[in-house]
Amino acid sequence: MQHATIEKSIPLMAIITLVLVSIGGLVEIVPLFFIKGTIEKVEGMRPYTPLELKGRDIYIREGCYNCHSQMIRPFRDEAERYGHYSLAAESMYDHPFQWGSKRTGPDLARIGGKYSNQWHQAHMLRPQNVVPESVMPAYPWLAKNALDYADIDKRLRALSKVGVPYTEEQIGNAKQDLMAQAMTGGDPAGLTKRYGNKVPKDDFDGHPDKITELDALVAYLQMLGTLVDFSGYQAQTR
Amino acid sequence: MSDNQEVSTTGHQWDDEEGYPLQEYNNPLPKWWLYSFYATIIWAVIYWILYPAWPIGNGFTKGVLGWSMHKELREEMDEANAKKKVVNEQLASMPLQEIAKKNDLLQYAISGGKAIFGDNCAPCHGQGGIGSKAGGFPNLTDDDWLYGGNLETIEATITQGRTGQMPAHLKAAGGAFDEAQVNDLTQYVLSFSGRSQDAAASKRGDALFHGEAGCNGCHGDQGNGSLKGTMAGQALPPVGAPNLTDAIWLHGADPVSIRESIAKGRMGVMPAWGKGSKEVGRQLDPLAIKQVTLYVHSLGGGR
Repeated sequence: MQHATIEKSIPLMAIITLVLVSIGGLVEIVPLFFIKGTIEKVEGMRPYTPLELKGRDIYIREGCYNCHSQMIRPFRDEAERYGHYSLAAESMYDHPFQWGSKRTGPDLARIGGKYSNQWHQAHMLRPQNVVPESVMPAYPWLAKNALDYADIDKRLRALSKVGVPYTEEQIGNAKQDLMAQAMTGGDPAGLTKRYGNKVPKDDFDGHPDKITELDALVAYLQMLGTLVDFSGYQAQTR
Repeated sequence: MSDNQEVSTTGHQWDDEEGYPLQEYNNPLPKWWLYSFYATIIWAVIYWILYPAWPIGNGFTKGVLGWSMHKELREEMDEANAKKKVVNEQLASMPLQEIAKKNDLLQYAISGGKAIFGDNCAPCHGQGGIGSKAGGFPNLTDDDWLYGGNLETIEATITQGRTGQMPAHLKAAGGAFDEAQVNDLTQYVLSFSGRSQDAAASKRGDALFHGEAGCNGCHGDQGNGSLKGTMAGQALPPVGAPNLTDAIWLHGADPVSIRESIAKGRMGVMPAWGKGSKEVGRQLDPLAIKQVTLYVHSLGGGR
């Protein structure tokens, strides 16, 4: 077909343009309809507790992702250092995910439980206290700032709108659950009932009487990568 | 430009003006670029055939080579494990005491343990195990141990973890004593290292230490810790209560730090690294723990 013919006929050009865009669209969009099937199913995943979710927000606010990835790649050097490679299911409740590719600091995908709360407290106050060669900046205000969680139920609601399976009960009890996990009241039994008995309840920031931003951040860091129990995990044949 | 007859046009002329017809040149791309471009297209097709490429339904095209990243990882891990197999099996089957007697095995275990320590333990205990005052993380290079410095105890500490059990004593922090009593106790504890500034307060602290506060139940009658100390001639439970009579202080040697320890308590946590410790994200297998044990034991303080 001559270029001139297409150029001079608007309907013909419109049809051909539409066909072209459709092919591009199909190739890019159709796989997304099957994405549920491509996330392999694993035991143990649950949505973030309200306190962990606030911690995640602080993680994003402070720009931790600029230096830390949360994605262990399937290479031997990473497996030896960080543990099992990350699974798609492990970030399925992340909006947005924190995979990243910039590693000025270490990968944090399985940092949970690796170090004690006391270590995180000392480390956030001044990283060089515990790791003299570290280039990480200090975050001393986290332990001073009271956590603002007035809108935590709305945050859960927003996430449920994009597909995170928070129940009405979880959204309604968000504030209670947040306080319970930081051990400042609330309803600990309810938290366990709603999020499972593996959820650690602790004084994450070393200040038992108040909930600070450090409480939330440490609670978040301490759960990263701990949900899936790999002892019962069989890698898919691929 | 219209004089240049070698350059072809797209064939369309927008006006008829004599001399300067408005036309669009059809400049061909450089040959090397064009053929490189065709080559990449051909390579893409070859790649689709050889390697995993297209998403289809719930899966994807696997490619005729059968390559996969996860398979490559498995092969790499298997290869590395096969190389270490003989030595690792020896290490796994031998008791720690036996390994410590065989120099070549011991050196292998220590260098492996050093790498594992650097990643997992050094953030708290410091490079080389020198500890850190900031969070009260013990120095592992000296011979002052809370739970014991022999191979078996170090292995148990790493596997099961430890939690400090120093309770808070000040009423405001949930304890049972007032400010003055906590100050008295501080003066008495300072007297173990000859630093008490107030003999009367120290005497009152003495009475509390061995009486109402019951400090001797963990630290011993002489304040020399749960490992060496005794209460009324009886050995103490292995709770990791430090020796208060030496110059080594986990949370600071100055009176303010000591008072803080007594007032608010200290609950230092050593995470459990053994398999089956569900609360720990990154677990070490028994062989790795053995190697770390031998490394820590070799740092200078091992008994």
